[in-house]
Amino acid sequence: MHIMDGALSQEVIIIGSACAVAGLGWGLYKLGTDQHGLEKIPAAAVLSATFFVASLIHVPIGVSSVHLIMNGLAGLVLGAVAFPALFVGLLLQAVFFGFGGVTVLGINLMNIALPAVLVGMAFRPLILKASPKKAAFLGGVAGALAIALTTLCVALCLLLSGEAFFVAAQLVFVSHIPVMVIEGLVSAAALYLICKVKPELLQTVSHGKTVQTPLNNLGLKS
Amino acid sequence: MYLTFSLRIMVFISLIFAFILSLPVPSAFAHKVIASAFTSGEILEGEVGFSNGDVAQDILVEVFDPDGEKIGEARTDAEGFFTFRPTLPVKHLFKADLGAGHIANFSMSKDDILRVLAKQQASSSKASPVQGHSEAREEASAPENRPAPVHVLARDGRAQAAIPPELQDMLETAVRNEIRPLRREITAYKEKNDLQAILGGIGYIFGLFGLGFYLMARQKMKALRS
Repeated sequence: MHIMDGALSQEVIIIGSACAVAGLGWGLYKLGTDQHGLEKIPAAAVLSATFFVASLIHVPIGVSSVHLIMNGLAGLVLGAVAFPALFVGLLLQAVFFGFGGVTVLGINLMNIALPAVLVGMAFRPLILKASPKKAAFLGGVAGALAIALTTLCVALCLLLSGEAFFVAAQLVFVSHIPVMVIEGLVSAAALYLICKVKPELLQTVSHGKTVQTPLNNLGLKS
Repeated sequence: MYLTFSLRIMVFISLIFAFILSLPVPSAFAHKVIASAFTSGEILEGEVGFSNGDVAQDILVEVFDPDGEKIGEARTDAEGFFTFRPTLPVKHLFKADLGAGHIANFSMSKDDILRVLAKQQASSSKASPVQGHSEAREEASAPENRPAPVHVLARDGRAQAAIPPELQDMLETAVRNEIRPLRREITAYKEKNDLQAILGGIGYIFGLFGLGFYLMARQKMKALRS
């Protein structure tokens, strides 16, 4: 899943890094301006650590193996704050395990965090209104979708760097189908638990004072 | 009722995790590429593979000089090994593209290349003594390149026996063959992620977020006070 140093052309790396800096800035800005930003930090730390460790859980496929990512859950719970949270996880993975690399940190962050944030935006309003069982189902779909989008982003990066898109996309997508299934199940279980035990974890701004609207569910200021 | 349901889900998930973890997964990672090159008498030998032990079969390895000029190429065999015969006395940079974003970059220093070239020269001058005159002079100007007989030193420092170059080559080949599996094991060991690294990483994460928490809380307190 992680793209390595030297695999991509320079233009792709520069554009990816610029986007990643923008995403990081956006995430930190949201965290700073959010009324309950302080309470988001422990959740962000836990999800960052989850992402960091999930990469060590391997799903064997033939002679090769792929690992879990858990970006969908981060996007659902954290919204834009997933950018800084996943950035920390990625940086430490590069330093400790040699996954990816420092020069491609930006690209990897975009590939992993952008689908997370998009999935979070699309599914969080639906999940907030749903019953726990339905929320679990939606969470599962969101978790699987985040992986699917990530594989497409990776394939797109490879395409822009000169590799044949269809071959690369097929390879990355097909090899991650088991990951999608497992992450879907894990995300569904997590969402079920969150809805039962601590539903306020999913809400960004509203905490009684602010009125719950679809707008601030999206993490936008109303 | 609901509690038991969520409990059941938790048990189910942990069973899945246990199942995944119990599968015979190689300890390292498929998406990390390892590659290395080493001298092997008159040629260079190299190995390209994935860090979980998978070899990279039939992969093109391109060789460049430090200026980025391509000076040759090689192909890996069924075991991920390749050989390359250097001709230029410069640092060699190797690049292998394994597809899907997997790139291996590795190099061999000029000193090692010079040693290999000296061996080549020695054996070619042995093979054709007619053209040996000029080469002999060259060798004399670069005495460190000559494969002089190796003197085995006894404890007191006196030379005891001289090993002829042929035997030296045989010894080197034998030692190389013997340490090859060892080298693989060391590479695999280097790739291993132990619990220390994992716990250390988690510690860093919590520490970093704790710092962020502290800074944000301090800001809030300041805002409250003023």
